[in-house]
Amino acid sequence: MPRTLAVHPFTVLALVAAVVAITTAASRWWLSSAVLLLCLGTAVWARRARRLVGLGAAILVPAWGSQLLIHGLTDATGAHVLLAAGPIRITEQGLVTAGELGLRTAVLVIAGLLCTVLIQRHDLVAAVDLSGAPPQLGYLLAATLFLLPRLEQRQRVIGEAQALRGARVGRGPRGWFKRLALRSVPLVLSALQDATDRSAHLAARGFPATGQHTRLRSVPDSANQRRLRILCLCAVVLGPLAVLAPSWGWFS
Amino acid sequence: MSPNLTLPDIAPGHLLRRRLMAAAAVVLLAGTYITLVLTQPTGLTDGLGASVALATFAAYLISALLLLAAVLPELPVSTLTLIPVALALNIVLGQFVGSVMIPLYLDSLGTVLVGFLAGRRAGAATGVLGTLIWSLFNPTVLPFAAGAALIGFLAGSAARFGALRRPYLAPVAGLVTGVLVGVLSAPVAAFVFGGTSGVGTGAVVAAFRSMGDSLLGAVTKQALISDPGDKAIVFLLAALLVYALPGRLSASFAFVRRYNVLGRRTSR
Amino acid sequence: MITNKPTVLTLQLERFRYSGSTNNTLNAMNLALSEGSLTVIVGDSGSGKSTLGAILAGMLPRHEGDQLEATLQLAGQEICHGGGSTVRIDPVGWARAVGMLPQDARHYLSGVRETVAEELALGMENAGVPRQQMHERIAELADRLELGYLLARDPGTLSGGQERLVALAALALDAPPVLVLDEPLAGLDTQAARTVVELLGRLRASGTALVLLTRALDSLAAEAQQIRFLRGGALHISAMLAPASLEPVAPAQRPLTRQSPELLLDFADVALAYPGCPDVVVSGLELQIRAGECVALTGPNGSGKTTVLKAAAGLLAPSSGRIGGAAVRSQGVGLLLQNPADQLFERTVGREVGFGLRRRGAEISRIPSVLATLGLSEYLDTHPYELPASVRRLVALATVLVHEPAVLLLDEPSEALDAHGLARLLTVITAVVDRGGAVLLTTHDEAFLAACAHRVHRMRPALRASQPTIAHAGHRGHR
Repeated sequence: MPRTLAVHPFTVLALVAAVVAITTAASRWWLSSAVLLLCLGTAVWARRARRLVGLGAAILVPAWGSQLLIHGLTDATGAHVLLAAGPIRITEQGLVTAGELGLRTAVLVIAGLLCTVLIQRHDLVAAVDLSGAPPQLGYLLAATLFLLPRLEQRQRVIGEAQALRGARVGRGPRGWFKRLALRSVPLVLSALQDATDRSAHLAARGFPATGQHTRLRSVPDSANQRRLRILCLCAVVLGPLAVLAPSWGWFS
Repeated sequence: MSPNLTLPDIAPGHLLRRRLMAAAAVVLLAGTYITLVLTQPTGLTDGLGASVALATFAAYLISALLLLAAVLPELPVSTLTLIPVALALNIVLGQFVGSVMIPLYLDSLGTVLVGFLAGRRAGAATGVLGTLIWSLFNPTVLPFAAGAALIGFLAGSAARFGALRRPYLAPVAGLVTGVLVGVLSAPVAAFVFGGTSGVGTGAVVAAFRSMGDSLLGAVTKQALISDPGDKAIVFLLAALLVYALPGRLSASFAFVRRYNVLGRRTSR
Repeated sequence: MITNKPTVLTLQLERFRYSGSTNNTLNAMNLALSEGSLTVIVGDSGSGKSTLGAILAGMLPRHEGDQLEATLQLAGQEICHGGGSTVRIDPVGWARAVGMLPQDARHYLSGVRETVAEELALGMENAGVPRQQMHERIAELADRLELGYLLARDPGTLSGGQERLVALAALALDAPPVLVLDEPLAGLDTQAARTVVELLGRLRASGTALVLLTRALDSLAAEAQQIRFLRGGALHISAMLAPASLEPVAPAQRPLTRQSPELLLDFADVALAYPGCPDVVVSGLELQIRAGECVALTGPNGSGKTTVLKAAAGLLAPSSGRIGGAAVRSQGVGLLLQNPADQLFERTVGREVGFGLRRRGAEISRIPSVLATLGLSEYLDTHPYELPASVRRLVALATVLVHEPAVLLLDEPSEALDAHGLARLLTVITAVVDRGGAVLLTTHDEAFLAACAHRVHRMRPALRASQPTIAHAGHRGHR
């Protein structure tokens, strides 16, 4: 069973935003590595480490590959050449750049995904509803998150139905396009029809709220958390400024 | 107390404030883009590079959020129930493509569909929202929200000016959209992440770099190779989907009726 | 009907026409509802009863394209539609006067809340009711309607009957004087139907006027103050008898004539499970289907009836045992799924039925006769989504029949069919059986079962190794 925190979702988001902003600004390998380890440690505590690593790797591996190709293998400016053959030019500086960019991306991805695995979606939706955001936002967020598994399920059912109909398509690009069209037409038709059918009833239930709106669900929160959030938001703006301002002086 | 059964004729709104927010978003976005193209910062990971990365990230994200805040309160309920469907379609059909290993994204199909059916404001809002929700599963897409908004906006504009009245016009509009979106999004890939999201696109960028292009130039060229084709297919597919809708359903969208989006097809 | 109760709603309707349509869906009619009354509106699928319900509930006209000429009196106000000016309906205000339960209760439920209590609170949340007051009103409502046991449940795991209970409770929260109910008992088993009927009784006792839209006079209709039949877009006091020519011969009354009929479908000690799901849905199934017979699978929800049909159609390989028979070997098995929308993806009925057929094959030449048998010839150029539910079901059936399957598999075929549709279906079953094919179907409908099945195979839920999980909640979507 995964462990959960009795924390307001926005507290988690604000903390992560502050950490990512300052780490990116500092651009130090040891700080970035420490943040990554901290994130993984938190995920292990929450018993979500496997999910975090799985999701993260799916994004990071191709991104790292791209950064390595662009900076590591074809660097034009680095002085310390390790290998040069035809278009390939590997330099120490290029590899360092690729590594630093890789770490920057990794911090953003892992810390961001940590929010996803820590925050309960119902709490997030309720928090958005109770915040000053437009009342439509909470519904859109919730509806999309809950529609996803339903549409995936429907897509499987449609695939089965088409197998039953003997929907044969050719190979190659035309076959691929035909298959895509066959998959998406019933999915979109039924989903749109469903959305139209729902909208009248949602409107009848007062959605979107025009004035003050409330939630039955209460989201865990405290005065300390509110203070922490304000502090984090200040840090998102002031932290990078404090770290980076000296380098601008040098630049001008 | 008996309830009100009918609405007053004109709904009150904060029209001016919303227009100002949308204008601020466009100015911020355009300003950031022009600054980046003109200054072409070279360092990626030093103090300056980190500043550029953070500033680009923030400017693109904030302008997208401003756009969303400006547009969202104007959307009718029928559009609001359509948007989650579109967002889920973006993801589900994006996965379909992923599973057949064809170098296309198709992750904007739902956004384009909303643009076609509900207009450019709804399209832009869908683009931003889709990126926000997708960022829960992949945080690196956050600064691409502005590009996604542009896709929805252009899809809505194309539909308004008749791109769906002939089947061959839709992919043309898609090509144009792909060019504009590729150009707009290139600085994010170049200055925030220093690369692309995949190995294949990364190899293309590396090839341009080895031919002597700047990073922004190489990323822009790569985007111009892959984005227009992708968007042309997405626009074509979205147009086919709109044609496949029963007339009663497509006619229930005020945008479709008002701008005669489907041309003669509506009379069916 | 003379009552001494005050009238809560009157409707004088001249005509209603959908945007882009060439004929009126509804024509001149009058309707008056008194407090606590029950009005039953009977009509076939596509007769316009859902349209009438939506007009009463303020959900039509949707926009300037829909043409409505009508005068409604409710909540002490008079609303005049038509005559030049468009009326912009306030959906929230109208819902406080007339509530509407759609045929599929999931269209009413938002589907985005974690518990039933939160789902019930949605309307109050949007109105900005303070939290404490919401808790009190929900507790009071649950107490009054005896639904306390559902409050903490996840709305996504409710059964069809429970979904309707929750939607009705959410409607009752605002205590609208009129409730419009679209087929509130369709697709429910006896037990679930009884709980819904009880809840409706409590609502009527508290003064709510109910309008029941239904295909057939069911147990609820017995208590009605007024019954109206919707035909040709107008209300009638008397029912019209179905034309005698459509009266089908019940297949069950046909004796099995052949001496040693061919074994078409053979389940030998079959166990079935969904891939990636540890639980066995069906185990030790022994079932033989021979040429010329119609067999019904019955059993409670979750006993794996649909799963058996899918396995017979080759969508699911048995995890143990063997599925054989002549029909399986010749790939002559056709399955009609429960939700026709999954099987339809073309722009017109004609293209739909002809989909994927070889241009000069035997199937193409069969299309006209199949469409004629099912009474679909006139819909050749219509979009399947614009057809009434019953006709759409028959279109899905047509797409299966053009392949002339040796074994016809039908998943809950009588659901969503009106009297005409049912007659067509029975004709088809008889025809399949007569030409030496066989039919295997699942059903909850006792009358339909008696009319068509030669024998019944009862299924029991397989023992589950683990509690139902979210993955299981997903499988529920097959229904």
